[in-house]
Amino acid sequence: MSGILDIVYAEYNYWIYVTLMMIGFYAMIAKKNLIKKIIGANIFQTAIFLFYISLADVTKGTAPILVGGHGAEHAEHAADVIYTNPVPHCLILTAIVVAVSTTAVALALIIRIYNEYGSIEEDVILAARKELQPEFSEHARQRGVAEVSEQ
Amino acid sequence: MKTLALFVVVITGAMLIYAGQDLPAFGDINSPAYQAPMTQYFIENALPESGVTNIVTALLANYRGYDTLGETAVIFTAGMAVILLLRRRET
Repeated sequence: MSGILDIVYAEYNYWIYVTLMMIGFYAMIAKKNLIKKIIGANIFQTAIFLFYISLADVTKGTAPILVGGHGAEHAEHAADVIYTNPVPHCLILTAIVVAVSTTAVALALIIRIYNEYGSIEEDVILAARKELQPEFSEHARQRGVAEVSEQ
Repeated sequence: MKTLALFVVVITGAMLIYAGQDLPAFGDINSPAYQAPMTQYFIENALPESGVTNIVTALLANYRGYDTLGETAVIFTAGMAVILLLRRRET
């Protein structure tokens, strides 16, 4: 029993990020509101950021800024300092920018959808689209396929 | 529909946790990512090669400079898309 607890304790960061990621995934799949879908995507991305940052961590490590780099006043400690891994930090800095860009484009698209259909609920938009353009509805498409196969 | 979504989410989460068992423990100094030669190279040579004490800055602006340049292209494209979507049209 304690063996299992040790394994869970050593890797509890992965449990946290999987939980967060699945909350975001559920919001993306199950919610009908488009804004809530975007919030779910953002939670999903944040979980991946946390995963990378936790991979970079080293026990008793300090931030990857060189000790004594600017002068000699702290240089005597510089040899035995452990730094955390700087490479995932750099990757996530890039990924945050991409996440912000995709969120901006998605929110702009939602504003256009709201202007066009007067709603950001997915089922309302699909119903309005079926009413406005019957040729694009699922029923009409299946009927068209049936007509083609009859000929 | 919500039950199906919950089912998919639980299955995916269980698979992720199962896959995570092989990852190094939290804060493990012997993890392959930390002991990789490139990571140690960056920590040792960031200051002499780029003159910046912050290793993340040295990585982002010096070693991965072209990646950061492409990143600005991403921001530019996103800003362009937002402007094109939200501008007022003369009808």
